[in-house]
Amino acid sequence: MADRIFAGVLLAVTMAYAAIAFTAISAPFQYDPLGPESWPRILAVVALACIAGILWKPDTEALGIARQVWFRLAATVLALIAYAELYEPLGFVVATFLYGTVMALMLGAPRLRAAGFGLAAGIIGYLVCASLLGLNLPLGELVEAAFTETETATEEEG
Amino acid sequence: MDAVLSGLATGFAVALDPFNLMLVLLGCFFGTLIGALPGIGPINGVAILLPIAYGLGFPPESALILLAGIYYGAEYGGRISSILLNVPGDAGAVMTTLDGNPMARNGEAGRALSLSAVASFAGGTFAVVLMSLFAPLLATFAVTFSPADYVALMVFAFASLASLVGKNPTKTLLGAVIGLMLATIGIDANTGVARYTFGIPDILAGIDFLIVVVGLFGMAELLTLVEQQVSGKLRTLPVDSSFVRMTDLARTKWTILRCSVIGFFIGILPGTGASVASAVAYGTEKRISDTEGTFGKGDMRGLAAPEAANNAAAGGAMVPMLTLGIPGSGTTAILLGALLMFNIQPGPMMFAQRPEIAWGLIASMYLGNVALLVINLPLVGLFARMLTIPQHYLTPLIAILAFIGIYTIVGNPFDLLLITGLGLFGWFLRKLDFSLAPVILGFVLGGLFENNLRRALSISGGDWGILVADWKSLTLYGLAVLVVVLPIWLARRNRPRPEGAPVGAGN
Amino acid sequence: MTLARIGTALAVAMSVAAPALAQSDIRTPECVAPANPGGGFDLTCRVAQKGLEPHLTAPMQVTFMPGGIGAVAYNMFNTTRTDDASAIVAFSTGSLLNIVTGKYGAFTEQDVRWVATAGADFGAVVVRADSEYQDLAGLMADLGSDPASVVVGAGGSVGSQDWMKGALLIRETGGAPMDMRYVAFDGGGDAIAALLGGSIEVYLGDVGEMVSHLESGQMRILGVMSPERLDEPFAEIPTAIEQGFDLEWTILRGFYMGGETSDADYAKWVDAFEAAYATPEWAEVQKAQGLLPLNLAGAELEAAIADSVARLSGVASEAGLIN
Repeated sequence: MADRIFAGVLLAVTMAYAAIAFTAISAPFQYDPLGPESWPRILAVVALACIAGILWKPDTEALGIARQVWFRLAATVLALIAYAELYEPLGFVVATFLYGTVMALMLGAPRLRAAGFGLAAGIIGYLVCASLLGLNLPLGELVEAAFTETETATEEEG
Repeated sequence: MDAVLSGLATGFAVALDPFNLMLVLLGCFFGTLIGALPGIGPINGVAILLPIAYGLGFPPESALILLAGIYYGAEYGGRISSILLNVPGDAGAVMTTLDGNPMARNGEAGRALSLSAVASFAGGTFAVVLMSLFAPLLATFAVTFSPADYVALMVFAFASLASLVGKNPTKTLLGAVIGLMLATIGIDANTGVARYTFGIPDILAGIDFLIVVVGLFGMAELLTLVEQQVSGKLRTLPVDSSFVRMTDLARTKWTILRCSVIGFFIGILPGTGASVASAVAYGTEKRISDTEGTFGKGDMRGLAAPEAANNAAAGGAMVPMLTLGIPGSGTTAILLGALLMFNIQPGPMMFAQRPEIAWGLIASMYLGNVALLVINLPLVGLFARMLTIPQHYLTPLIAILAFIGIYTIVGNPFDLLLITGLGLFGWFLRKLDFSLAPVILGFVLGGLFENNLRRALSISGGDWGILVADWKSLTLYGLAVLVVVLPIWLARRNRPRPEGAPVGAGN
Repeated sequence: MTLARIGTALAVAMSVAAPALAQSDIRTPECVAPANPGGGFDLTCRVAQKGLEPHLTAPMQVTFMPGGIGAVAYNMFNTTRTDDASAIVAFSTGSLLNIVTGKYGAFTEQDVRWVATAGADFGAVVVRADSEYQDLAGLMADLGSDPASVVVGAGGSVGSQDWMKGALLIRETGGAPMDMRYVAFDGGGDAIAALLGGSIEVYLGDVGEMVSHLESGQMRILGVMSPERLDEPFAEIPTAIEQGFDLEWTILRGFYMGGETSDADYAKWVDAFEAAYATPEWAEVQKAQGLLPLNLAGAELEAAIADSVARLSGVASEAGLIN
């Protein structure tokens, strides 16, 4: 069943892919007989055949995942999305602290230790990657705003 | 031979540069660390660390040396969790658990770990020596490969993939096609027409390779860990003070040699890597040496066989990657992508045009092997402690590392969402028994396959005959048929089937 | 090279007028390479970074903005960073072609301000050493009588700057670009391998990349597509124009800024470049990055850009690449 659902989703995407290959892609002129459209067309046909095969004879009946685990996975994905969305506004240190703490808590770490882990990951990560290795991690828009303000202030004084 | 020696001289000049030497050591060290983390295999380790290594802004040869060190180290580190935890980090380490874990349970953990380090060293070194002899020869020969020959080579690559990887051939094929389809996104290299870009400028040049790799491997790995999560620490066997003895080495020397040969040549085959090599080596060794039925109960030959083979395969897989631009395994596909990111087109011309990179990489592997042996024998206890890192800290750490790596490439937070989405997709693929290696190989080889096919047809002015016009192409097509037919034939011969049973149903 | 000479002369005149060690006061100068590190745009930015060092008050940063063969950066500097006074973005003739063929969206070459060049490269018609073609005339005669009789290859797709060289070649013989037998490769390295391996007969490359191949003697350059003879090591190689063909292909490499930058901010950058052009160090930096001298800044460059965009759109529309 799980196979069939997944194959169904793939089928929809592949149909769209095929539709574009068969109708939309073309070049003003080309030097090879295939052009930009033939290869995607071939791929779409092979993919559709494979998907048909899986729909016909699925081999994975169920994913064997308990409802609780689904819940945990969904929470993980949501946490990742939140982490990604907050990466620039809050900056690396704060976002990583929040994400690390929440994830560690969710996966069963003791409360204080989880916060300690999040804090350490954020601060050590920033120190090592941004300061030591010179990678461009976001400082955070809030922190940056504060920084530029002090900077212009000192400049005016000077 | 002269070319080899002067090449090696060039290479060692690059690799022995103090900075690069330090990178080899660091790469091996961190590679072993990440490889030792339970559940994270070499491919995931390299995928997670690749963007960071890239973002450091080193010259290409240094960055690649670092990556090769990580790759090698991760292959080494994988065996620690196999032996002490009975949890293989990836498919290539599965065979190591069969005899390695029983040895540790018999109270010989230290002996098992040190023996596997020596076997890995022997296999790895053997492969690098063969590689430095073969690669330039193959490269010189491969300069004469025409686009039509490359098409044949691709057919061979996908044929070997189909016959050797995965339980369900349909799923393996579909995985490869998904990779190929992902590769069609972006501007067509022949006509300059944009395909599947939907007007988004960010993907005009195609989906970024790093995003696909980190998403499909790193982030999918994270979701798998969350799914299987057992709270707290994993139970690990202690590292004791037992150590490998000379008599052990004497007993396993032929095993190691045989399996190094097997591993190297299976590693060369495109699409098959350490997992197939270690399985074949273990199977062969069991057939040859297991006269008392001790394999699987802690026989040291059963441990040495897959260890020598998977490290030899790691070296073998580098040969087609460096000389033809065709990766021999999922991990080398990632290294190939790394080369492309530095605007270095791996292939026959690389030895002529960028000898410092080709040979620097080879020389760093010699050093890497020695470094790993030196690091591993005394420090194995330290690495083993990695196993005791509680899962609830390890799991978020993967995401933090992956995010750092991806964000620092361009500073685009949208990419972070993209890897999350791809991670979810990769997790579903894994849950449904798709192997991810075909996907990434399809993605990397897709452009080569299509473009060479169309190049060949532009050269011939549309005559399809050009595809079978040359003996090189014909030989490769012959080999492609062979790799598909041979396993089936062997299976049939070895397993007399009962009356009326359909062919191949035994699998 | 007249252009370069005029440029140098102008720059010398400028530097006489201005105090010798004038530095342009630009806060946190930045060069954006619209690609991943290691490519041509990276090199272009390195020229500015090293070459301008004595002429700026602050050190220059090189940043990367990959995506869409430069489209991401072009869009960025036409939408959000239009008046960014501290950043220049690397471009090449290939970027101009992308503007012409609409790959950069609706923005035209008039929407940004062209600052200065980092240098140039020129097209080269290359064959294998054992090729039957000894000069351009032989090749052009064959192409003229039957364009499909010669397999031509280059390192870019239809509509790329590499392809453009082929289109110019075939136009010179009186044929149409669609009639040639063109094979697109993924970069010059692959195309050179195919030339040496015998898959293609003629390779349309760039002069800069041939430096390392000249000594090996495996290839022969039939003609250089520069307006005048080049210096060593190409002094012996005749230009296409000398051989009686109107084939000139200059690949500009340089920098642009957002379209709404103030004249004063724009002038700071132009001054810095012109000051640098006058020094021998600039020529050194140019050479070290594999570029040939072609120094244009400010209005001169704007004129050169308008000129080449007109030429490129002519060929592109003829080939049906622009509707």
